[in-house]
Amino acid sequence: MSESLGLSIRHHTGFTYDGVAKASYNEARMTPRSLGIQQVQSSKIAVRPVIPLSTHVDYFGSIVTAFDIQETHPKLEVESISQVDSWAATLETPLGWNDLRSERLTDRFSEFLLPTDRTALVGAVMDDIDAWQKLADVHECVEAASNFVRGEVFYVPGATTVSATAQEAWDRRKGVCQDITHVTIGLLRAMGIPARYVSGYLYPATEPLVDDVVEGQSHAWVEYFSGSWTGIDPTNGVRETERHIIVGHGRDYDDVPPLKGIYQGPESTQLGVVVEIRRTH
Amino acid sequence: MGVVFEGDATGAWNEMFSAPGQPRPIYERLLADLNAYQPQELRLRSDQLSRTLIERGVTFAHSGEERPFPLDLVPRILGALEWDRLSRGIAQRVQALEAFLADVYGPGKIFDEGLMPRAVITSSPHFCRAAFGITPPNGVRIAVAGIDLIRDEHGNFCVLEDNVRIPSGVSYVIENRRAMTQAFSALFSDHRVHPVDSYPSRLFSALLAAAPRKAVDPVIVVLSPGVHNAAYFEHVLLARMMGVELVEGRDLVCRSNHVYMRTTNGERAVHVIYRRVDDDWLDPLQFRPDTVIGVAGLVNAARAGNVVLSNGIGNGVADDKLVYTYVPEFIRFYLGEKPLLDNVETYRLEDAEARAEVLGSLAKYVIKPVDGSGGRGIVIGHHATKTELRSLHKAIVASPRSYIAQRPVALSTHPTFVGDAISPRHIDLRPFAVNDGEDVWVLPGGLTRVALGEGELIVNSSRGGGSKDTWVLNDESIPFRGAVPPASHRSRRYPPPPRQNEEYVAQKGEQ
Repeated sequence: MSESLGLSIRHHTGFTYDGVAKASYNEARMTPRSLGIQQVQSSKIAVRPVIPLSTHVDYFGSIVTAFDIQETHPKLEVESISQVDSWAATLETPLGWNDLRSERLTDRFSEFLLPTDRTALVGAVMDDIDAWQKLADVHECVEAASNFVRGEVFYVPGATTVSATAQEAWDRRKGVCQDITHVTIGLLRAMGIPARYVSGYLYPATEPLVDDVVEGQSHAWVEYFSGSWTGIDPTNGVRETERHIIVGHGRDYDDVPPLKGIYQGPESTQLGVVVEIRRTH
Repeated sequence: MGVVFEGDATGAWNEMFSAPGQPRPIYERLLADLNAYQPQELRLRSDQLSRTLIERGVTFAHSGEERPFPLDLVPRILGALEWDRLSRGIAQRVQALEAFLADVYGPGKIFDEGLMPRAVITSSPHFCRAAFGITPPNGVRIAVAGIDLIRDEHGNFCVLEDNVRIPSGVSYVIENRRAMTQAFSALFSDHRVHPVDSYPSRLFSALLAAAPRKAVDPVIVVLSPGVHNAAYFEHVLLARMMGVELVEGRDLVCRSNHVYMRTTNGERAVHVIYRRVDDDWLDPLQFRPDTVIGVAGLVNAARAGNVVLSNGIGNGVADDKLVYTYVPEFIRFYLGEKPLLDNVETYRLEDAEARAEVLGSLAKYVIKPVDGSGGRGIVIGHHATKTELRSLHKAIVASPRSYIAQRPVALSTHPTFVGDAISPRHIDLRPFAVNDGEDVWVLPGGLTRVALGEGELIVNSSRGGGSKDTWVLNDESIPFRGAVPPASHRSRRYPPPPRQNEEYVAQKGEQ
C-alpha cells in the first residue's frame, strides 16, 4: 500500500433559535468509518448543551450519534473531531456489462439501482446515456456521465436548498456537491450501474503541508459498483482520492445527513458549518 | 322460521348445508333452534343485538360517521376437528412470518439461498431500514396477527392475506359474543362453545413476555392515535380489559432512550408499548416529521433495548401482498414443514409471462394493490367496467410491482338474517393469533365478516360489511391448543396523565 495521508478533521455545526428550543431529538452522522482505504485512529463527538449521547450503526453502516435535549436551550452545537489515515484507492479492472447486469448483481444491489425521489430524472438529461453505454469500459462510461454533469450543472452555493431533487438541480443547471452527486447517481442507475451517495469530507489542498490547518468542507460524491465499489467526485471532476474522507453511504442524501433532528420551539438559524482539516503526516 | 338451502350460481360452498334439506351435522342443533323462532321474534332479537352494540359504543368510522358494526344473528360454527387443523395452520404461518422478519432485519439468508429476490424487499414501501438493529428480547415482532381466511368452492380454507402490522377487529369478537349471549342465551345452553374472553389476558401475558429483560416490574401501555381513529373503541376495550393505561403520543416522552408516561404523580417508566399507531406516524424523528400522534425518539429507545414496540416496526414488509406469494416457501425454508394452509392462487406481475397472461384477460382475475388494506383498490375483473379495466391495465404496465392478480374465489356463503328473511351471504374469517415467544395461541373462532349485499364479495367493514359471532364447538375428544390461559400479571393503575402536546419543527439540514 502507498503511503498514507494523516488528517485531523474538526467538523462543527449547529443552530441558534429565535428564543429557546426544547424537546429536541437528533441524529448526527459525522463520524468517519474505518474502511479498506481509510483507518480511523480516534473520533469523538461533543454536543452542547452537554447531554448523554448514544451510538449505533445504521442499516447502511454509518455510525450514528443520537441524543435528545429536554431543557430549554438558545443554541445547539455539535462538534466531531477525528483522526484518520487515508490511502488512495487503486482502480480495479471493471466487470463487463453482461456481468454487471447479471440477475445476481442486479438483485444484490437492487436498492442502489432503483431511483429515489431525490435521484429520479426524466427528459433531456437522459439523452446521452445510450452513447455512454456503448463504451465497453464501465469506468469510462461513468467518467463520461460524471463529466457531462459537471459540464452542465454549475457549482453555485445557495442555488438550491438542502431538500432539492436531482431533477430540480438539473432544471436549474445549478447546485452544490449534493445536487451534482444526485444527478450523477440518477444517470448511473438509469444505465444499470449500481450507484450510492457518499457523505464525507474533502481536504482541498493538492500538495498539503504537514500541520497547516486548512478550511475543508463537508462533501458528497458517488460510489458505483464495477466489481468493487469505486469512487468518483463529479463536482471536482476527479476520482475518489486519499483526500476524500468517507463518513457514510446511502441511496441519497436523506439516508446519511450529517445532522437531522426535530425540536419544539421557534425558528432556527444554521450556525454555519465549519470544517477544519490539519495534515498530521 | 324456515332456514333452507339456497344454491349459489357461483358454486360457492354453503357453510350450513351440504345439499337441499341436508344441514351439515354441526349445524343441525342450531338450525332446529332457529327454526323454532317466529320471524318477528328474530327481528326483535336482531334489533336487540344492534342496541346492545350501540349502547356499548361498538362502532367503526365509515365515510366520516360512526356506525354500528352490524352483527348478524345467525352464528357461524366451526367444528373442533376443523378448528384444530386451522389453528395449527395459522400458528405455523405466524411462526414462519416471524422467522422471515428476523431474517429480513438480520442476516438475509433467504436471499443468499436464492429463494426470494432481495428486490422484493428493497422495493417494498414497508421495508423499514430504521428497524435494523432492533432486536426484540424474546424474538417476537408479531405479538398479534390477523390471518384472513376464506373457504373456497371445494370447502378448503385458504389464506387471503396476512395482517401483521396492527390488525384490528378482536374487540368485535369479544363484544359480539357478549351481545349474543344476552340475546340468545338458549342457543348457548344447547351448544358447548369455546369462550373468547381470555383474549385480553393472553395478550397481556404476551406483552409481559416481550418486556426488556432488565425491566423488573414491566409497565405496559396501549398507544392509540386517539378518539378519531376507526378502532378507538378497541383500544379502550383492550386497555381496560388488560388493566393497563391507554395513552396517546402526547402522554409519552423519551429521554436518553428511555420512555416515560406523564401522570399526575410525575413520570413513570414504560417498558412495553402495544401500539396501534402506524409506523409512518410513530416517531417524527424517523418517519413523518409532521405527526402529532407519535412519540419522538421511540425508535432509538427501542433500539437501545429500553422499550419494546409491539408489533414491531417494519412488520409491513411481511404482509406486502407480493411477499404473501412467498409464504409457503418461508414455511418450508424456515420451519422445514409442509404448509398446512394454502394460499389463494396468485400471480406475480413482475414475471413477464404471468403479466402477459393476466393483462390478456384482466376480466378473469381479481387485482389487488400490494400494500392496500381494508379492501381498498381491489378490482374484481368481471365486475369492472371497460374504463376501469383500461386504467388498471395502464397502472399494471407502469408498476407491475405494485399489484398481484388472483384467481377469483367464490367465498363460501352462510345463511344470514337480511331484511326479514334468512338468505345466503358471502363470508370470510379473520382469526387472531397471539405470540408470546413460547407458543402461538389462536383465539378460538375469530371475526367472521359477512358481505351484506346479495352476491357482494368484499366483506370489509369499510365497505359496509357486517359480522357474525363465530363458534368453535368444544369436543372433548380433541385436545385443545393451550386451553388453560396463563395467570395474568396486572400492572398498577395510574391516574390519567395531564394533556400537553406541541408540534415539532425539523432542524434545518446542512448542505
